[in-house]
Amino acid sequence: MINRQIFMKRRPSVKYFFAAAGLALGLLAGSATVHAAEGHGGGLMPSGASVGDQASLQRGARLYFNYCVGCHSLKYMRYSRMANDLGLTKKEVMQNLNFTGAKFDGPVISSMPSALAARWFGKAPPDLSLEVSAKGADWLYTYLNTFYLDPHSPAGWNNLALPNAAMPFPLWELQGIQTAVMEPGRGHQVQKLMLSQPGQMTPAQYQQATRDLTSFLQYVSEPAALQRHRYGVWVLLFLALFTLLAYMLKKEYWKDVH
Amino acid sequence: MGNEVVDHSRRRFLTAATATVGGVGVLTAAAPFIKSWQPSARAKAAGAPVTQSLKKIELGQQLIVSWRSLPVFIVNRTPSQLAALPAQDPRLVDPKSDGSSAEQQPKYAQNETRSIKPEWLVMIGICTHLGCVPNYVGEMKPEPFDPNWQGGYYCPCHHSRYDMAGRVYKDVPAPKNMLIPPYQYLDDMTVQIGVNPKEVS
Amino acid sequence: MANVLSSIGGWVTERAPGLMPMYRKHMTEYYAPKNFNLWYYFGSLAVLVLVNQIVTGIFLTMNYNPSAAGAFDSVQYIMRDVQWGWLIRYMHSTGASLFFVVVFLHMFRGIMYGSYKKPRELVWLLGMLIFLVLMAEAFMGYVLPWGNMSFWGAKVIISLFGTIPVIGSHLVDWIMGDFLPGDATLNRFFALHVIALPLVLLLLVVLHLAALHEVGSNNPDGVEIKKGPTGNRWSALAPADGIPFHPYYTVKDLFGVGFFLLVAAFIIFFAPTVGGWFLEHDNSIRANNLVTPSEIKPVWYFTSFYGIVRVMPAFLGTAVWGVLTMFGAIAVLFLFPWIDRGKVKSIRYRGTGFKVGLGVFVFAFIGLGSLGAGVTDKVFPQWFGDIDLAAWDNNFGRLMVVLYFGFFVFLWAYTHFGWEKTKPVPDRVTMHD
Repeated sequence: MINRQIFMKRRPSVKYFFAAAGLALGLLAGSATVHAAEGHGGGLMPSGASVGDQASLQRGARLYFNYCVGCHSLKYMRYSRMANDLGLTKKEVMQNLNFTGAKFDGPVISSMPSALAARWFGKAPPDLSLEVSAKGADWLYTYLNTFYLDPHSPAGWNNLALPNAAMPFPLWELQGIQTAVMEPGRGHQVQKLMLSQPGQMTPAQYQQATRDLTSFLQYVSEPAALQRHRYGVWVLLFLALFTLLAYMLKKEYWKDVH
Repeated sequence: MGNEVVDHSRRRFLTAATATVGGVGVLTAAAPFIKSWQPSARAKAAGAPVTQSLKKIELGQQLIVSWRSLPVFIVNRTPSQLAALPAQDPRLVDPKSDGSSAEQQPKYAQNETRSIKPEWLVMIGICTHLGCVPNYVGEMKPEPFDPNWQGGYYCPCHHSRYDMAGRVYKDVPAPKNMLIPPYQYLDDMTVQIGVNPKEVS
Repeated sequence: MANVLSSIGGWVTERAPGLMPMYRKHMTEYYAPKNFNLWYYFGSLAVLVLVNQIVTGIFLTMNYNPSAAGAFDSVQYIMRDVQWGWLIRYMHSTGASLFFVVVFLHMFRGIMYGSYKKPRELVWLLGMLIFLVLMAEAFMGYVLPWGNMSFWGAKVIISLFGTIPVIGSHLVDWIMGDFLPGDATLNRFFALHVIALPLVLLLLVVLHLAALHEVGSNNPDGVEIKKGPTGNRWSALAPADGIPFHPYYTVKDLFGVGFFLLVAAFIIFFAPTVGGWFLEHDNSIRANNLVTPSEIKPVWYFTSFYGIVRVMPAFLGTAVWGVLTMFGAIAVLFLFPWIDRGKVKSIRYRGTGFKVGLGVFVFAFIGLGSLGAGVTDKVFPQWFGDIDLAAWDNNFGRLMVVLYFGFFVFLWAYTHFGWEKTKPVPDRVTMHD
């Protein structure tokens, strides 16, 4: 311990090194936000979707089974799991949500034969079990909110999030009909969308409805999220206790070391 | 160095506390791994109750349906097969199914015919010896293994024999009567296997 | 109770007389320098993660289906139908990324404190082999879920071998066992991932530790405690600056484990995808040999090396240069002990040139990583406005490649020609509480 005082004033220039590393980390930091909204052309609307809101999930499920399941299956999702997680009874699910006569324990399969669908729409409507995992909740929300009438498109509709989408807009009765206002002088650049014919819902109601639908599909993408959140807090608290004890134990033993 | 007083009791206490909490943590962490061996949601869905119509099963015929991957025999027993049942009692291990075979059927099937309705036998077709599937030998005629055969089951593996109610004969390797699953009638000619009558959904 | 235990212990010791000496040699009488700092947690944490990967991996194989038709569905089966399957899979996927976090920091620690220098060259070489095998292990594991990123990642990385002149295309077909990644590829990767490479990895880890315990641990001061005075409160013969690994470093590492598990658990339970960095969005789409994901890139821990391939141009009619450079970037790490001729180990007492150089090296590594991950594609337009992005990416990336290799050239010259002005190294280790 004699040398200790002499070497107390060392390593000022380790700071150089940390400065350089910090600069490099800046690149990563800047990316965190960019990465979240990755690659979907930017300008996505924040969905505000949450799998923690059970009422929202229930409303979303109702919308899904009224408007979507005719074409889009959820082949990894079992009705029974959904009933359990969404706080619905078997009877409610089988009467209000299951229109195909599928088994309660079975997966959500669309009633439409995919070969037929492929002929109508040019390609089979995709299964949506993992849609939110693959594309993100914000993308889906934006997609559901940016359909507009486009006479040049084969489906009669177009979409800002997915240009030339094959799907005709199934929720138009709810949202109404949007048309595009073009960027002056730039041909096909859409400047904004305008509600040219109101639907059954006000814009605020429609946004809430699509938020519900997005939440529901986010839940379907990863039903385990509900369990994760439920157990996660307890695991963290437990580990915090363990870490505290281990810290005290370390302090106690290291009293020997000088 | 080395002349400090070590507080041994505090050290022991902290070691024990950390070890205990850590041990609880390891055990708790093991639970999900152990539970992952339980039947999965898919296995449970495959094991869901099976509904079967009885309309196409003719007199004296047997139909095999799969429930939880097990073969379930459904037999439309003839009046003569039924009439022969009481006569077998002295030759059986547990004719009333109240001894060694007391647990081999639900209470509502603990009777002479081991069924809810006498003519319809619903039974898991697994030999109670080592798990083979016995052959249905329904005709009441002399057989090489029994000159006095009154219809029943003959296991190809170790030659265990059962009567037309799945009751095991004496002096064969199998110890118990064959298992009757929980089942109920949804209507006169439809059974649902895997559900007790009171659990109507 | 205690009597029973000690008599069982005696029974075993009598029949396996080597056990207790081994325990003493590696635990209670392994004298580690007493001045380890934060950077010294990552070795034991790497062992922890290795154990986690093996245990969770074994349980994943119980429900995973290694076939092109069934793999993707079986992962969803694990995530949804198997009880607690989601937790086991997230532990494995999070563990994979954290493995690299821990290993990168562990390697960086070695560079910072000169732990690769004499007499620890073998420890470093074995460690580098572990890193190499770990990369192969991670790559093959990444292919197994058979999402679209798995498929195209496999295709692109296997195609790296196709740039080798003459035998390249045959080599690619041989690795895949097909003309596209398919059943054959998936099955052999599965076999290698679950048994072959883990065995090699375990063996290397044992050798790495054995080699370390032979020469003893380095420390943040780079002082050889075995050459210093002897005699401490546990032994008159042991180094004065050494403390028994057990209990002092076992309890310290236990605290490190607790803290690390807190971080890991937070990720597993609240952000298992980490915004697409640990589990990529495009891997939620089943493998599709007709559609390449719009942003094809490897997982974050490969992006630095991938970035090199991206910016190296083809010339003389072959793309092999980028691949050579990439493998060179890994190979040069093996040579650290011989490139760095400096006698002083720890960064604390080394010249400013080393500190700046190491900073530049880290900057180049992270810069290449950002490029490989597609981060620069996003932030350059934000920072610099309307630019020729491809040219910027290329120039930036090539500059980073030059800095990466330049560090090693500089380090050699700096230490070989005696340009380094070091500070006096103390005789004994220093403590900072």
